[in-house]
Amino acid sequence: MRAEEKRGAVGRSVPRLEGKAKVTGRAEYVHNLRLPGMLHGKIFRSTIAHGRIKRIDVTAARAVPGVHRVVTGEDIRAIIPDPHYGPAFHDQPILALDKVRHVGEPVALVLATDPHVAEEAASLIDVQYEALPAVFDEVEAMTSKAVVHEVLRPAGTFPDLKHLQGRKNTNIALDYHLRRGDAAAAFKKADRVFEHTFRTQQVLHVPLEPFVSAAVPGDGTLTIHTASQSPSFVRIEIARLLGWPESKVRVKVPYLGGGFGAKLYIKLEALVAAASLLTGRPVKVSLTMEEQFYTLTKHAATIRIKSGVTKDGRITARECEVWWNGGAYADIGPRITQKSGFTAPGPYDIENVHIDSYALYTNLPPAGALRGFGIPQLVWAYDGHTDMIARELRLDPLEFRRKNLLRDGRPQATGTVMKDAALDKALERVAARLDWGKPFERGSGTVRRGRGIAIGFKAVIAPTTSVAIVNLYADGSCALYSSTVDMGQGSDTAMAQIVAEVLGIRIESITVVHPDTDVTPYDMATLGSRSTYHMGNAVRRAAEDARDKLLALAREVGLSGETTPIAEVFRKKYGMQAGNIIGTGSFIPTYQPTDHDTGQSANVTPFWMIGASGAEVEVDTETGQVKVTRLVNVSDVGTPINPRIVETQLSGASIMQLGFTLSEKMEFSAGQCTNASLAGYRIPGMLDIPASIANEAVDSTEHGGPFGAKGVGESGTFSVSPAIANAIDDAVGVRLTSLPLTAEAVYRALRTKQGSPLKA
Amino acid sequence: MAPFELLEPRTLREAAALLASGDATVRPFAGGTAVMLMMKMGVLRPTRLVSLRAIEKRYSGIEAGAGGTLRIGAMATLSTLERSPVVRKEAPVITRTLRTLSNVRVRNVATVGGHLAHADPHMDLPPVLIALGATISTVDAKGGRTIPLEQLYSGYLETTLGRGELISEVTVPRQAPRRAAYLKCTTRSVDDWPALGVAVVLDTASENEGAVVRDARIVISAATDTPKRLGAAESALRGARVDDSVLRRAGDAAASEAAVIGDEHGSAAYKRELLRVYVVRAVRAALARNEG
Amino acid sequence: MNTVQRTIRFTLNGEAVSADVPPHWNLVELLQNRFALFGARESCGQGLCGCCTVLVNGTAVTGCLYLAALVDGAEVVTIERAADGDGLDAVQKAFIECGAFQCGFCTPGFILMTRQLLDEKPDPTEDEIRHYLSGNLCRCGAYPEIIEAVRRAARMRKSTS
Repeated sequence: MRAEEKRGAVGRSVPRLEGKAKVTGRAEYVHNLRLPGMLHGKIFRSTIAHGRIKRIDVTAARAVPGVHRVVTGEDIRAIIPDPHYGPAFHDQPILALDKVRHVGEPVALVLATDPHVAEEAASLIDVQYEALPAVFDEVEAMTSKAVVHEVLRPAGTFPDLKHLQGRKNTNIALDYHLRRGDAAAAFKKADRVFEHTFRTQQVLHVPLEPFVSAAVPGDGTLTIHTASQSPSFVRIEIARLLGWPESKVRVKVPYLGGGFGAKLYIKLEALVAAASLLTGRPVKVSLTMEEQFYTLTKHAATIRIKSGVTKDGRITARECEVWWNGGAYADIGPRITQKSGFTAPGPYDIENVHIDSYALYTNLPPAGALRGFGIPQLVWAYDGHTDMIARELRLDPLEFRRKNLLRDGRPQATGTVMKDAALDKALERVAARLDWGKPFERGSGTVRRGRGIAIGFKAVIAPTTSVAIVNLYADGSCALYSSTVDMGQGSDTAMAQIVAEVLGIRIESITVVHPDTDVTPYDMATLGSRSTYHMGNAVRRAAEDARDKLLALAREVGLSGETTPIAEVFRKKYGMQAGNIIGTGSFIPTYQPTDHDTGQSANVTPFWMIGASGAEVEVDTETGQVKVTRLVNVSDVGTPINPRIVETQLSGASIMQLGFTLSEKMEFSAGQCTNASLAGYRIPGMLDIPASIANEAVDSTEHGGPFGAKGVGESGTFSVSPAIANAIDDAVGVRLTSLPLTAEAVYRALRTKQGSPLKA
Repeated sequence: MAPFELLEPRTLREAAALLASGDATVRPFAGGTAVMLMMKMGVLRPTRLVSLRAIEKRYSGIEAGAGGTLRIGAMATLSTLERSPVVRKEAPVITRTLRTLSNVRVRNVATVGGHLAHADPHMDLPPVLIALGATISTVDAKGGRTIPLEQLYSGYLETTLGRGELISEVTVPRQAPRRAAYLKCTTRSVDDWPALGVAVVLDTASENEGAVVRDARIVISAATDTPKRLGAAESALRGARVDDSVLRRAGDAAASEAAVIGDEHGSAAYKRELLRVYVVRAVRAALARNEG
Repeated sequence: MNTVQRTIRFTLNGEAVSADVPPHWNLVELLQNRFALFGARESCGQGLCGCCTVLVNGTAVTGCLYLAALVDGAEVVTIERAADGDGLDAVQKAFIECGAFQCGFCTPGFILMTRQLLDEKPDPTEDEIRHYLSGNLCRCGAYPEIIEAVRRAARMRKSTS
């Protein structure tokens, strides 16, 4: 098209569109929102893990001068007769009704114009409970007499979760099974059988912008301003709760101060909606950092993994049993259980596979998606297991992986044939960047050095829909309407690059309209590294539609659409700078549901994400302290739309996973999180970052993706934990199977190895 | 947070008098970091805060007196201390310690007096100052007193200061010719609160065939409820020529004498092993420095 | 509740201002509620993340742990204070050029702290950068890019001075 501008917008590392707004502190977040007459809400939370509510006494709170109203679960029934929400099950009450199921569960909401008053008053609420037996461990939850939910009602919202039932009188929200070949027979035939059990801990997303939502009642309408990754879902779910048409609920999302999977589905939105309708005033609820610890965690998991291997190192059978600690409400746990089950045996070509994966309710805060949808937990298990087998067989860990790696064209455990999955390239690039074949300095004295590699993969959530609109203005500039939420991943910039590429216009002339469900069209959600592929395809189609319409308009007025400046085409048509061209595009990939009994499907995912990592560590043998000196992350992201942003996504994801690997852990006592602050729960800071972090996207093309691209947000997390554990083993010969890899855990393992275990 | 009355007396004596009122919910407020944290958590709900910011400027000064003795005003901020040339000259271990003490913004407002009086055993300066032999002077309605810093601490977040008694000044004997080191061990993130701190100040003689320790002061922090001298470890070093076996004895003595407490930074058993190692490392670090 | 307010006068981003504040408000609340400045924002609430960084009399403080009433008579500078020319200073430009942020929530704090660091040490080593900025947290993990941006800003400042 217009030759002078056809530099190609895709594939360039253009700076973020919102850069100036962010470095001047002027970027818009929900936190900035102040509305006339606005009430601030402070949540009163359960102090026990499981119990029946006997009495809620709010008289003292209500008596505090300045308190506008105190709302309880029963009050909400007046406007929402069935106030339960959730993406998988309608199991979560807006405020507790009858029962509380975890410490920190919202029980009442105090509303006041002064947030300090609301806080003071909330501390005066008195609730009496009849304590019930509680269950906290996911494996115990399988057989526990303590049942978290007496009744389970599947939500039926998402096509991939249509089969959900939940088992009555158990804590099993979902069980997923995969059967391929004959694992039992293969184990009998195997030369060696290895079995290990791995554990991961509860960790937290910790977006630095804590959860925040506000609702503004209108005339038969409701506007919700929320820090959400899923504005379309929020609108549909709030409309369902209220029994209103979708069109009467408007959801607006500006920038997010981080999301990482926490800000999905319903978090505070139903609460502010109900409170604003009860009071007729705008209501805002802003959580503190502490309250984030009671809202949503990553799943802790126990993973038992067993492999049958031939003498020469071919894996012939694999069995996995996975228990996911879903906490008190399912949130999206069932999807995590199912989708991660697809790839639980790892990126290896194994003929006989047997997987059982269970989503379990417990009396801990709810668990949900966190940058990887369960995959980092599984890679932690299977690629530690892989290394342990290689060491037992005295095979080089790299060689052992090469021998067993899944190659394009081979069926994966679900039966779906691998395509555009550069597992081999990712593995080889990590090895090359670590100089794997060369001698390695192993340290001396009390400091021992080691190195490790790991590789993981993921099937994207499917099938999901994205819709986009491109609005081309008469001067040749344009707006993109998309409900993809830019929470820091750079989607505004990447989507604008796609539009610029298709239309041949400058990226600076494009405005990305932020999610506003009255304006921007449907998008399933910004999650699971799906936006570049799904929304990217929708945006490309919308831009192509606009381009085709522009070319048609040019033909109509006798101009060449290829060479005429856009503004001239409009002027010729309308006689002045006027008019619009609206291009639309939507995208939903093909998908075949998995068979309930065997977990088999010919088409389980539109694309595969690949993440491999390599780590070098120094272990202090006198203290167990581990220092990661080098971290290499290699990923298959297809062809990057914006290489620089892709690199920072890989880097940032690996740093987050570094925290989950070495320091982060929610501690619980009787279901109460005892380190619910950043003083007690340590996320990585400047001083924790390895001296050398290198990130690389392998040369690759995703044929179904926009301009060959696919998702990247999660890939950097997959393999960091096992790579570090493998490196520790390499350095000092001890194997840790539980996260995090604390200095004390390493030290204890060293003492045990020396035959003088440290007493508890 | 609930409202309170904020008072800003012009003199330290006036502040002490305001605090002596008998009302337990009246609190002094210097840098305010710890007080603000406690108020936000709801564990402190004062009716009145007595800000010390407007008191006499001389309580913010730092100067070296005769023989290099440091006199540090209680209202001096930690960053003033960190940047002070006289501190760097007379007690370089203090300067080094400050570099990793909390963070720049906290150091910019937190005061020496507040840091000491908060009595959180995870703080970095108390073990260092105790090892150096610091004393504190206080002011109260009756006048005041001067005590060795180690006598300030009576328990976790507890001091021997009376109501209406405020630290006015810290006096620190010159470090040289003694050798000093402070090592802390963090077990989660690098800038976490320490699981253990060990401060060592050694008076040594003759260096030709290895140092002979004339006197040693070793102080543990973070792993115990208050910072404490490790007498048995000190004895193991006193009079000894430092070699591996002497160091091992000192480490073992420390590990057996300290009342180590387990918490989220590590079990008591583990911290005891850390102590065994860190005493040795701290002595080595002190000897490796040529600041005498 | 007893909300006797006091009137304070101070300089905000170069301009003389006054405001009525309740005694228990912190500096972030003052800036947001009275001056609609949202660049300093409370996150961890404990002085660990640096999202609420504000300069008081030329010194960086933790805004969420700083009583608003105590800026009476002080000179207060926030991220919103515009630089000369095109409105961005070397540090801000370097952060953009290096991709040294993702979600942007911690960015104002990092930028203010970087300016302080470079004022004190125009040519900091990586170790000095890491220590100086260790009191600021970035959950997106942009640390390597931030270190790069600080160095770039140092070079830019040197070449223009």
